Amino acid sequence: MELSVTQENLARALSAASRVASTKTQLPILSNILLRTEGHRLMIAATNLEIATSQLIGAKIVNEGAITIPARLITEFVSNLPKTTVKIKVTDNKLSIKADGYVSTINGILADDFPELPTINEKTAVSYSIDTGLLKQAIGQTILTASNDSTRPVLTGVYWHSHEGALYLAATDGYRLSEKKLVAATKSEVSAIIPTSTLQEVLRTVNDDINEIEILFDETQVRFRISDAEITSRLIDGSFPDYRQLIPAKSESTITLPRSDFTQITKVAGLFARESGGSVTITADEAKSKLSLHSIASELGENTSEATANVTADGQVTLNSRYLIEALNVLEGETVIFRFSGKLSPCVLSADQKDSDYQHIIMPLKS
Amino acid sequence: MQHSLWQSVLGEIELTVPHATFVTWFKNTELLETNDELATIAVPNIFAVRQFQVKFADQIQQVLAKHGITPKHIDFVVKTGGRKITSNRETTATHQSDATDRLLSKSPSSSSAKAGSLNPRYTFSNFIVGSSNDLAYTACQAVAQYPGTKYNPLFLYGGVGLGKTHLAQAVGNEIVKKQPDARVVYISSETFVKEFLESIRFKKKGFSDKYRNVDVLIIDDMQFIANKEKTQEEFFHTFNALHQNNKQIIITSDKPPRSIPTLTERLRSRFEMGMPIDIQMPDFETRCAIIEVKASLSGVELERETIEYLANNVKTNIRELEGALNQLLAYSEMRGITPDITTAEGLLGNVRRSRPQHVTSKQIIDKTAKYFSLSSTEICSAQRDKHIVTPRQIAMYLLRSELHLSFPKIANELGRKDHTTAIHSIEKIEKSIKLDMMIREQVAEIRERLYV
Repeated sequence: MELSVTQENLARALSAASRVASTKTQLPILSNILLRTEGHRLMIAATNLEIATSQLIGAKIVNEGAITIPARLITEFVSNLPKTTVKIKVTDNKLSIKADGYVSTINGILADDFPELPTINEKTAVSYSIDTGLLKQAIGQTILTASNDSTRPVLTGVYWHSHEGALYLAATDGYRLSEKKLVAATKSEVSAIIPTSTLQEVLRTVNDDINEIEILFDETQVRFRISDAEITSRLIDGSFPDYRQLIPAKSESTITLPRSDFTQITKVAGLFARESGGSVTITADEAKSKLSLHSIASELGENTSEATANVTADGQVTLNSRYLIEALNVLEGETVIFRFSGKLSPCVLSADQKDSDYQHIIMPLKS
Repeated sequence: MQHSLWQSVLGEIELTVPHATFVTWFKNTELLETNDELATIAVPNIFAVRQFQVKFADQIQQVLAKHGITPKHIDFVVKTGGRKITSNRETTATHQSDATDRLLSKSPSSSSAKAGSLNPRYTFSNFIVGSSNDLAYTACQAVAQYPGTKYNPLFLYGGVGLGKTHLAQAVGNEIVKKQPDARVVYISSETFVKEFLESIRFKKKGFSDKYRNVDVLIIDDMQFIANKEKTQEEFFHTFNALHQNNKQIIITSDKPPRSIPTLTERLRSRFEMGMPIDIQMPDFETRCAIIEVKASLSGVELERETIEYLANNVKTNIRELEGALNQLLAYSEMRGITPDITTAEGLLGNVRRSRPQHVTSKQIIDKTAKYFSLSSTEICSAQRDKHIVTPRQIAMYLLRSELHLSFPKIANELGRKDHTTAIHSIEKIEKSIKLDMMIREQVAEIRERLYV
């Protein structure tokens, strides 16, 4: 194998692959990155047997071939090279890299031992093409409520599913839940739980130059096609809880207020809630048109912060301020609608009309 | 057999590949089945599928051959630990009533309830019988036994979510089971109207024959046909044709024939000539039984006190009852806790709120008065004409049953001085409800209007 590529392209592809290449594994080759010529391009791939990533970059190929190289060393080496053309040559399982005065030889492992990358049948797979901005937003809005409790694996991913002709994303950790309608009208049926680590990898890989991302599902795997890069992942086995039962259709009290105001008072109230695990008590006052947050730090003092709001009915509920802040951060739009019914029912946060395809539910704390 | 075979295959392969490779790829694999054509091997993930196909297939084939098994192909599939893609619980719905639709009765307009299609889930065996519906149940069984002869037409009526559709379809399913070639058609009256209109609009032929050549015709939610004169006429002819030939007709409706105001006289009399049966809201014990059965269908065993709590707190209809149960089960599943009474208490707040609780005593009096075309002043006056006295008593009864007001307070609300008047009135209505169908319907209807 002999070829030359630009340092920028190579460094970018290697750093994406090295994130996936696994460090703790019984199979040493999994901590390597695969380099293989594909026509006129160079493919750089890695896998940890949960996710596989591969990327094609433009290259001037002199001789075809393939090799695997320890991920960390080559990534760090290439990222430190000057921005110039890098010449790569493989002889006897040794990779030599030359660039502007830097020459190094790295010992590799034969590419034949590298696991085959999974394939997906494009014809039978369910596929979606989604605007990059929308996808980034949808993943960002749901991924934060996914659980990291490995004893309940189905909750450690985001549930992509079609429902009444639309594609939804949902995630819950048992204390909060988020639901996003990503595609309003679709005929394809899908029901898949994608691990959060995969989605994080997708978020890292996308950049604003890419307009659309293609997503392919089959029964056991999902593939994100991001321009010349592909991320393939297993799906989480199991069935997601019937979460729609838990979204209250109606609430007793509906509060509408600017998102920045709500964020501000929650932040302030949160300062006094550190001791109590973030617990803040929210009081809605219809007569005064106020929403106030009360928090107590037994040793230090206490705080009441309030904001003017449109309130439909009086009520009180206690929430974790951290969850509230996180929810407010991912909501879009100037105005936020906050609904709740008494101390025990789930609270619903959503944006004003325009972004009504997103709902964020927080379970109250028992006070 | 397969297991021990696979173990020995693995043992052999372990010797020929590096340990790390063996542990990474062959752990958690399983031989599912073998025959001359195909061996199916389950592997833990998608990566393994590809790896096996490319790297290990030949080797496995060779080792299998040593054991005397020579399949032409080897198939590798991802092992799914009970992953059910279309499991019942995943066919989720937006809100409670939708969610329960799928358990109890598909709403007639839903696209899946196509004309002529029975839903096989509705059977007699999963219908829970209590004192409120045993008459209907028995009649339906009789009809299923002797279609067309026993009670024809069978007219089932009752409030929403009490099981009309379930029973009607159960009859259909039972008949099909006995005579697989019987033509049983289930349609909602809405579909009937729609098809009729289309046949007029596009001058389609054959509509009149379509429903006249069946053995059993089940029409759901008859009340929707009531104000459509031409459709009624068409239905009248269909009805006659079927009845003449001793074909069974089953009709469900939310009101008895004589309470559907715009039903033409000739249809009304025909509906009444068979067997009109009402289905009442199930009593406490039946509600408990329903919850228990539905929970065990979901594989959950609830404690007695939780069941009783649910049954006590949801009294409106079975659909809402199941909605509450589903909500409890979903919540517990998500939180990973057991569905006990405390959880139910926390959640049922929602259920009760799902129907507006803020009915005031004034609303009860006003709506009762309005129902009987009286004014609120009349109903609270000292007049003792019969047409005012009964409504007044009903109002008192409702104040007691819906708001749990005290007797003196009830008397006071209706301008009486003596609380014994209220006691007497309420007792009287309680008694009449059991004896007089008219009063029972009136009370049920007013109650329904209160919560609209």
